[in-house]
Amino acid sequence: MEDGREKKKPPSPKFCINDHVDILVEILRRLDGDTLAVAACVCRLWHSITRHDSLWESLCFRHVPSPPPSGIKPIVLALGGYKRLYMLCLRPVLNRLSRFGLRDRVDHVQLTLSLFCVDYYERLGGGGGKLGESSASSSSLMFLCRPVNV
Amino acid sequence: MGNASNEISQVASDVVHYNPSDLGNWVDSMLTELIHQQFPPSDLQDFPYHDTWTDQIGSQQNQNLNHNQQLTVVSTTMDEEDSGIRLVHMLMSCAELMQRGDFSLVASMIQEMQVLLTRVNTRCGIGKVAGYFIDALGRRLFSPISTACGGYSVLENEILYHNFYEACPYLKFAHFTANQAILEAFDGYDCVHVIDFNLMHGLQWPALIQALALRPGGPPLLRLTGIGPPSPDGRDTLREVGLRLAELARSVNVRFVFRGVAASRLEDVKTWMLQVSSKEAVAINSIMQLHKLLYMDPGRGSAIDTVLSWIRSLNPRIITVVEQEADHNQPEFLDRFTEALYYYSTMFDSLEACGLRPEKSLAEIHIQREICNILCCEGSGRIERHEPLVKWRTRLSESGFKPVHLGSNAFKQASMLLTLFSAEGYCVEEREGCLTLGWHSRPLIAASAWQAVPDEPTSSLAPMLNSQNSNVM
Repeated sequence: MEDGREKKKPPSPKFCINDHVDILVEILRRLDGDTLAVAACVCRLWHSITRHDSLWESLCFRHVPSPPPSGIKPIVLALGGYKRLYMLCLRPVLNRLSRFGLRDRVDHVQLTLSLFCVDYYERLGGGGGKLGESSASSSSLMFLCRPVNV
Repeated sequence: MGNASNEISQVASDVVHYNPSDLGNWVDSMLTELIHQQFPPSDLQDFPYHDTWTDQIGSQQNQNLNHNQQLTVVSTTMDEEDSGIRLVHMLMSCAELMQRGDFSLVASMIQEMQVLLTRVNTRCGIGKVAGYFIDALGRRLFSPISTACGGYSVLENEILYHNFYEACPYLKFAHFTANQAILEAFDGYDCVHVIDFNLMHGLQWPALIQALALRPGGPPLLRLTGIGPPSPDGRDTLREVGLRLAELARSVNVRFVFRGVAASRLEDVKTWMLQVSSKEAVAINSIMQLHKLLYMDPGRGSAIDTVLSWIRSLNPRIITVVEQEADHNQPEFLDRFTEALYYYSTMFDSLEACGLRPEKSLAEIHIQREICNILCCEGSGRIERHEPLVKWRTRLSESGFKPVHLGSNAFKQASMLLTLFSAEGYCVEEREGCLTLGWHSRPLIAASAWQAVPDEPTSSLAPMLNSQNSNVM
């Protein structure tokens, strides 16, 4: 038994981001939509964090110059949440209307909210109009999902 | 795309290119030529204006090849091109014969045209439009008036309408523009009442409810009265729509009251059914309904006067009117036929550009029904009596209404909506305070807003009332 063997240095505490969820949330909150979606594939913890609607809330209004009107949050939550708003409406709208100026972003958001509301109404079964289909399906936003001729 | 254009330029000298995305202008150029010339004999070599239109098509072709569009350039041979022209000629001469009452000739021409149809592509462009018009001529000739216009049930009508809503932006434009005008007119009021002349599925109202929910100062109490045809088989579709709208309003904390009025004709509605209170601001919303009232019954006058007078009696804050921008109410059959051919060619053109989607075919049936009604029906059965904006302006001004300018917000919103619809070619225009949506500079639908002029005892002495535009933001 050699005493000369060097004692192992106690392992320096490694910093693991997963131990600090609050910092993780702050970082993820600042990502753009596509990166956030990629982050959701990293591990289960990250996936569960990205499901929080608050992350998507800051994403939705990040590029709008003026703060969103007060009272918007309960409405968005009632209509389906920020993540759905972003993925279904805001992202395609902002992409397609990118040639409009920053000043018009507020109007884009208004228009998006209206379309989001129509989507909610159709999911309630308000759209109707499909032969032989009684289930609620939201189809009036499908034009946002079609490939765009840019 | 690059290879295709090389290929095409190589064959440019040999074939004529048919640009399916500018059908409206092509038909229009042909119709204007036809009106000024005798019909040429059937020998195709003698077409006098062959050169002029090929040049036109050629230059448009070159322009459009530069656009990255989902454009299927159909290179065709000379035969198919000329079959297309011949079809339009034959349609026009057939319509003229129909007007003259030469029915046996009409019947034989219809047969000839059906043969000619086999030589063109009927899945798009002139072939498709011609197919519908030949069908309409046949119905006018052979079917009894009652069935000529195709008896669709209330439910089927709603389905067709919904598919038309999905497939192209005309109804969305109508809804959003009208909502913007209503929203601005309701500014400052705590009790508001919207009367919808044709509720259908109520797709117009979620956006208004949401906009009212977010208005600074909080939402008002919103009452919606939806007028619609009585539903057969005991279902109360009006009430079902109202319940869904109420649920949506509850989710966004807007106080909401719904009332349904079932009436098969707008002129049967009486003001007491609407239960308008004097303390509330009233908005009347008519999306393509007023033209149905224009039939002039020799004994009783026309329903439009009745309806306009009870509208006035309600003293509404705003009346939003959206109508097709076409003159399909002309007394002469040939004039209606010509106008309809141009109008619906343009509309089918625009539908093509919206790409393949399942709603398109049912949307086309919706449009076809309109065509059949305009061409096959007469008298009280002909309800699609579209009139252009200038005529509505005169009619409404003479009935005691003054126009309210749709503001720049409405225009901006309409432009944004169209940009989202990912089909180049739609254009929004502003015309004396009204907005029109069209395809390639041909307006197809016009939206306007009105207010009732208050009655003055001696109109010549009373001072002119300032039109208070609350649209400026």
